[in-house]
Amino acid sequence: MNYKVKQIIRNVRVMVFLVLLVLAIVAINPRPWVDGVAIRSITANSAAIESGIQQPSPTISPVNRERILEINNMPIKSVEDYYNFASSLKTNQSLQIKTNKALYRLKVRENIETIELNETEKKEVEEAAIRNETINGTLIQYNETIKKIIDVPKKKEISKGPEDIGIGVFNAPKTNIRKGLDLQGGTRVLLQPETILAPQDLQTLIGNMEERLNVYGLSDLIIRDASDLSGNQYILVEIAGATEEEIRDLLARQGKFEAKIVNKTVFVGGQDIVFVCRSADCAGIDPNYGCSASGNENVCRFRFSISITPESAQRQADITKNLKLTEDGKYLVDPLELYLDDTKVDELNIGAELQGSPVTEIQISGSGSGFSQQEAIYNTLNNMKRLQTVLITGSLPIKLNIVKIDAISPLLGEEFLRNAIIAAALSLAIVSAVIFARYRRFVISIPIVIVSASEIILLLGVAAIIGWNIDLAAVAGIIITVGTGVNHQIVITDETLRGERFAANWKERIKRAFSIIMTSYFTVFVALIPLIFAGAGLLKGFAIITILGASIGVFISRPVFARVIEILLRS
Amino acid sequence: MEETQGKGRFLGIKHFYENQYKKLLIIPFGLLLIAIILIGYKFAATGEIINRDISLKGGVTVTVTSQQNVDIANLEKTLSSKFPNNDIGTNSITQFGRQTGFIVEADVGQEQASALIGEIGNALNKKLLPQDYAVEVVGSSLGTSFFKELSIALLIAFVFMALVVFISFRTFIPSIAVILAAFSDMVATLALVNLFDMKISAAGIAAFLMLIGYSVDTDILLSTRVLKRKEETEMERIYGAIKTGLMMSATAIVAAIAALFVTQSEVIRQIMTILLVGLIVDLIYTWIQNVGILRMYLERKARKRNELQS
Repeated sequence: MNYKVKQIIRNVRVMVFLVLLVLAIVAINPRPWVDGVAIRSITANSAAIESGIQQPSPTISPVNRERILEINNMPIKSVEDYYNFASSLKTNQSLQIKTNKALYRLKVRENIETIELNETEKKEVEEAAIRNETINGTLIQYNETIKKIIDVPKKKEISKGPEDIGIGVFNAPKTNIRKGLDLQGGTRVLLQPETILAPQDLQTLIGNMEERLNVYGLSDLIIRDASDLSGNQYILVEIAGATEEEIRDLLARQGKFEAKIVNKTVFVGGQDIVFVCRSADCAGIDPNYGCSASGNENVCRFRFSISITPESAQRQADITKNLKLTEDGKYLVDPLELYLDDTKVDELNIGAELQGSPVTEIQISGSGSGFSQQEAIYNTLNNMKRLQTVLITGSLPIKLNIVKIDAISPLLGEEFLRNAIIAAALSLAIVSAVIFARYRRFVISIPIVIVSASEIILLLGVAAIIGWNIDLAAVAGIIITVGTGVNHQIVITDETLRGERFAANWKERIKRAFSIIMTSYFTVFVALIPLIFAGAGLLKGFAIITILGASIGVFISRPVFARVIEILLRS
Repeated sequence: MEETQGKGRFLGIKHFYENQYKKLLIIPFGLLLIAIILIGYKFAATGEIINRDISLKGGVTVTVTSQQNVDIANLEKTLSSKFPNNDIGTNSITQFGRQTGFIVEADVGQEQASALIGEIGNALNKKLLPQDYAVEVVGSSLGTSFFKELSIALLIAFVFMALVVFISFRTFIPSIAVILAAFSDMVATLALVNLFDMKISAAGIAAFLMLIGYSVDTDILLSTRVLKRKEETEMERIYGAIKTGLMMSATAIVAAIAALFVTQSEVIRQIMTILLVGLIVDLIYTWIQNVGILRMYLERKARKRNELQS
C-alpha cells in the first residue's frame, strides 16, 4: 500500500494536478484571519476624497481592496463598528483613518443647507454695460460698470449637523472569490432603451450612466450592455451594497449637464451642445502638442471639438467679455465649470481668444500623464472620453425603461451564502456515503471524494482568476458539475472493474470509459451554449460555471482519477 | 419461505424484463402519451404549457427571512384581499424542515412593488426595512420575452445534443433512441411538474436544459456498452450498464434530495426539484424504452445478417 501511495505521488499527472490545485488555492487566496472593513466607495466631493483616500476600482480583486483598520486609534473590526463610529461624529472633529495602505487625516465637515426665505433683501450688484458715445464725429465704445441695488430673496444657512465623511464600507472579503449580487447584497437593474441604439451610442449612454452613478458615490458597480437571441438591447447595472430606492429614479431619469462660468449657466446638455466630435479627425491626441516626457513622467494632450448653438455662444461671449486674464495672458481667470446632476465634476480653462467672441465651434483640450508614453496616451484618451461622455449627457434623447429590478439585502445575501455552502457540503457528504455503500472499498471511494472536492477548488480558483461572480445560479452549477464529475468517475471505476474480468488491457479499459465520458461531456457542453446568449445573459453565470466545471473535470481531473484508480487497482 | 418467495418474485420480474421487453415498451410510450395529453389539455385550457412564475410573466417577488413563524396561508389571504385583482402566491422557506422565511409572488406592476412590501409588513405587524427582504421586479414584456428566449435556447440545446449523439453513434436507430429518451424524459417531467402545480422560473428552464445532459448520460452509457462492446452476452452487457447507470442516477438523486432538504433559495430549490423528477422518470426511459428499442434493433440486425448468410 505504501508503495502505491508513493507511486501515486510520483505520477506526472498527479503532480500536475497537485500543482494546479495549489495554484487554485493561491488564486482564491483565503485569508480567514483578515479583519477590518473594506472600502466599497468614496462619495464625490466628500471629506474622505479630499483627504486622499482613493476611489476603489470596481475591477480590483476582493482581497486587494483597501481596508480600514483603525479610526483615531480605535480598531474597526466590522461594519457595525464602523457605523457606530460614523454616527458619533461631531462637526470639525479631526479623524485619523488608518488603512492597510496609508494614514489619512481629515476633518468632519458641517452639513449646511441653504434655504430661501420668503422675504427679500437689498443687494448691491455690479453690472457691465457698453456705452456708445460719439466724440468728435467718431463712434467710441467703452465699457462701464454701473452699480445697482436689486431685491434678492433672503437666504438662510442651517446647519444639519456633521456631514457624512463619505466612505461606504463592507466586511473585508476573506477570499478572492467574487460573490454575486444575490450572495453579497445589492441591486441589479435591467434597463431597455425605447429605441434600438447604434453600438457607439449605446456605449456612450453606458459611459454616461457610469459617470452619473459615480457622482452619487456609487462606484462599486458594473454597467454593461446585454442582448438576447431576439436582438433586444439591454443595459445591465449591478451595484453592490445599494438599495433599490437609491437606484430606481436615478437610472430612469436623464442626466442633467450644465456648464457654468462664475455661477452663470452657459450651456446645458441636450439643448445647447449641438455636436461633440468623437471621430479620429477632430478628436484624439493633439497633433500640435503630442506627448512629452518630463522627468520620469510622460504627459500627453488631447483635443476635440464641440459645436454649440449661437444662443449659447452669445451667452458665453457676454459672460466672458469682462473677465480678467491670467498673468501669462493665455487663459481667463475663471474656468468653465462642468456640473453633472448639480455636482461639479470638472473644470476647463477658457482660452483668452474666446473672450467675448460668440464662436460656436469650440476646441476642448486637456491632458493625461503616465510613467510610460503608452500609459500616458491611454490615460489621456480616457480623460478625453470621460469629458466627452459628460458633455453628451442629455443629448441622447433616449428613454430607458426599467424592465427588471432585483434587490437583495446584504444580511439576506450572507444567509443565502451560508445556506448554499451547507447545501453543497451536505450533498457531497451524502454522495460520498452512497459511493462507499456501493463499492465498499476505501481505495475506490476515497479517491472519488477527494477528486470531486478538488474539482470544486479548481473551479473556484478559475472563477477567482477570471473574476467571474459566483451567484446562486452558479452554486447550482457547481453542485451539478460535481454530480456530473461523480457520474464520470463511476463510469471509469466500473469500466476498469469490468476490465479486470475481461483481460482487456488498462489502456483499453480507460479508453472505453473516456469514449462514454467525452460523448456525454459534449452533449452538456453544446446544450449550455445557447443559454449564454439567451435572455439578456441573466443565466450566463450558470452556463459559464457549468461549462467551466465540466471542462475542468473532463480535461484535468478525470485523467488523474483514471491514473490513480489504475495504480490502486492494478495488482 | 418468505425469502425464497421474494427471490422467486425477483426472478419472475427479471424473466419478464428479459423476455417481454416489447410489451414493457407500453409503459414508457403510454406515459409519454398521457404526458402529451395532459400538457395538451393544459394548453387548451390556459393557452400555456407551463405555469410561468413571475420571472417569466412579470410581477414582483418578495423574499423575507423571519425568525418568527409566519402562517403563510393566512398571509396569502390577507394580501389577496388587499390586491383583489392580482394573483398572489406564498411559499415558505425551510431549512432542515424548519421555517426560516417566506416568499410572496404577485403579478402586480412595478409601481406597486413598494405597496406590496408595505402590506406584507402590515400583515406581520412590523415595518419591513430594506435589510429584511429581497425583491425581484420583472416587467411583463420582459418576462414574456425571457420565456420566449429560454424556450428557443432549450430548443437549440436539444438540436445540438441530437447532433452530438448522431456524430457519436453514426447509426440511425440507436441515435434516435437516445434522442427520443431525452425528449420523452423532458415531456413527462414537465407533465409531472405541472401536476404538482409548480410554477416554473427562468432557473427552472435552465434545469430542463440540464436534464438533457443528465438524461443522455445514462443513455450514452447504455448504447456504448451494448453496441460497442463485444464481450459477454447482450443481456449481461445491459445488466452491467444498469449497475453503473443506477449508481450514477442514485448519486445524482441523493445529491438533489440533500440540496432540497436544506436550501433556502428558490433558484436552487427549483433546479433540484426538476432534476429530481427528471432523473426518476429517466430510469423508465433509459432502462425500459431505450433498452427495448436497442434490443429490437439488434434482433433485426441479427435477422438480416442471417438472411444474408443463408
